[in-house]
Amino acid sequence: MTDADIIVVGAGPAGSCAAIAAARSGKRVVLIERGPFPGSKNMYGGVIYPRILDELIPHWFETAPIQRWVVRRSTMVLSDTGALNIDYRSNAWGQAPYNGATAYRPDFDNWISQQAVAAGADLICSTTVTGLLRDDQGRVCGVTTDRPDGNLTASVVIACDGVNSFLAKQAGLYPNADADNYTLGVKETLSLSKHIIDERFGVRDNQGVDIEILGGTSGVNGGGFIYTNLDTIAVGVVLKLSKLSAQKKRPEDIIAELKRHPAIAPLVEGGQVVEYSAHLIPEAGLEMMPKMVADGLLIAGDAAALCLAAGIWLEGVNFAMASGMYAGQSASAAIDAGNVSAASLKSYTNRLNETFVLQDHKKLRKIPHLVLSDRVQHKYPAFVTGVVERMFRVDNPTPKPGVRRIVREERKKAGIKLSELVRDALTGLKGFG
Amino acid sequence: MTIAVCIKWVNYSGPVESDTPDERFAGFSFADQAALEWALRIAENSSDEVLVLTAGPEGAEAVLRDALSRGAHRALRIDIDLTNDSAVIARSLVGAMSQPRMVWCGDYSNDRGSGSVPSFIAAELNIDQALGLVALDLPESANASFTAVRRLDGGRREQLLISGSAVLSVEGSTARLRRASLKNTMSASKQEVQVITATGDRVETPALRPYRPRPRVTLAPVGLTALERVKHITDTSSSKGHGETVHAEASAAATLILESLRKWGYLP
Repeated sequence: MTDADIIVVGAGPAGSCAAIAAARSGKRVVLIERGPFPGSKNMYGGVIYPRILDELIPHWFETAPIQRWVVRRSTMVLSDTGALNIDYRSNAWGQAPYNGATAYRPDFDNWISQQAVAAGADLICSTTVTGLLRDDQGRVCGVTTDRPDGNLTASVVIACDGVNSFLAKQAGLYPNADADNYTLGVKETLSLSKHIIDERFGVRDNQGVDIEILGGTSGVNGGGFIYTNLDTIAVGVVLKLSKLSAQKKRPEDIIAELKRHPAIAPLVEGGQVVEYSAHLIPEAGLEMMPKMVADGLLIAGDAAALCLAAGIWLEGVNFAMASGMYAGQSASAAIDAGNVSAASLKSYTNRLNETFVLQDHKKLRKIPHLVLSDRVQHKYPAFVTGVVERMFRVDNPTPKPGVRRIVREERKKAGIKLSELVRDALTGLKGFG
Repeated sequence: MTIAVCIKWVNYSGPVESDTPDERFAGFSFADQAALEWALRIAENSSDEVLVLTAGPEGAEAVLRDALSRGAHRALRIDIDLTNDSAVIARSLVGAMSQPRMVWCGDYSNDRGSGSVPSFIAAELNIDQALGLVALDLPESANASFTAVRRLDGGRREQLLISGSAVLSVEGSTARLRRASLKNTMSASKQEVQVITATGDRVETPALRPYRPRPRVTLAPVGLTALERVKHITDTSSSKGHGETVHAEASAAATLILESLRKWGYLP
């Protein structure tokens, strides 16, 4: 008799959803969290797209601790002094069934873990899982923890232990972990009054804004972001790890530089830094995903690199919640079938393949590398802002030059060959199309 | 017999002030943790039961379950308004203890409280108290007396011999609370926490005020100018210095020191 049917490691969105799904199917579930409470590290600073919760927690939006519902999405391209901003607003996103939302992860993760507890899972905090237990045939049959008498056995272990998943690595599922596949997300949380945030970002009540930024990262490949919470804003950058290291730049300096940009400074002016945090992001999508199934073991969430970083689509929590939920369901089904081998647990990856989780990743598999490529990062922002600047500049008595001429001249000025432009456009169209 | 441990649940939200304290950040001080550890160590060598108590709302049960997971046998929460003064809190705690052999407390709480509850507990139980302990030398035998070192003002220390029933409060540095085993952590979440509702009968205490030493009469300095008056006060340029170097045998030197002290008015 095992101590539990299913052990879920990590009470983030993936882990809690796995625990909810498994506990609801009547399994004895232990959810182990390293922090003193789920979400105790507020590293995350993004938009959550919780519609996947419709299946798991009906009417989730009535109780979820949401800061603001995102009704404005902007993509901003920055050159040294200019900015092109493409902005879309939909007030419908501020009403049920909603679209994206900003939230503090200590609140959100705590809330969703309580749903798991309500479903019957045992939540154990302040406990670090240090390794996998294996039976005499090498199958995963539990975990070891840092507590005295800390071994715990189970039929299935679901590893949702985050981006740097020691369990997935220990299980040999990450054979080629490459630093080039990761970015470093760095975030400052700035305190501003709700009134000021509403005025600056053109929103009301609990409406929020999500601004994604290309450029403005001091020459390091990556991007920037600004998200509005109720009375704080999150401003930060996501930086390609290998480039950041090679260029010997400090992430806090890069955020400071971004905050000084003429298009950003008016938005963040007067904000008092109340929090600074950094976190690794598995950025390379399908290219870096590990094997997600082994005998008695499933990998979900960031641990499985299920983070979509495809330029205009930057999503992670929804992929984590979905993968966690499918992992919990598959583990339960395998236990019911009396077979928790990798072959039996493969229903998990089948489910991922059938749904947006892997379909989106497959469709966009080339986009993460395209977005972080040197050309997109360093040449296109200057090219695009240069074109727009000249299109809207009136140089009378000189007549208007015409768009084609402007594009040609700016492309040459930015050092982009026509063949490169066409190739990147085709890659983008193929990916996004 | 029962060894009682009184821990103060504090809804401590860290350096960030908040109008709505978050119970996720609540806990108990390192001093209270040390008190629990000492109680557990004593209970290990005896058949004593460790009863852990706290006063507070339902959220305070989290720290009691934490204590249970670390080895306490029983937990009890006093449901009482925490705005009551220390005497009332102490009375409510004592009311739930039923003649314990020892009562262990932390020397301070996370909310920088007055630290007076242990004294009130000792008074209510009419037993000895040894407060502010910085070191303990526990005996092998459970009921033997033992020594403890207590912190006094001015960096001084006092060694106490503790025998029989007593209230003891310890500093956080005296012991590190053991880590709970995984099995105990899991079972503690399902263990029962007894709840007693207490009313806040106010205890009349005499008016207290800070210690103020009697004023000492000092004659006004003599001198026509401010400089002279300052010199008079500070004894500057006075020839009657108290410093003197002598070479003498030890007994003669001691006699000379005593004579000098009498002469200068330090000894009668």
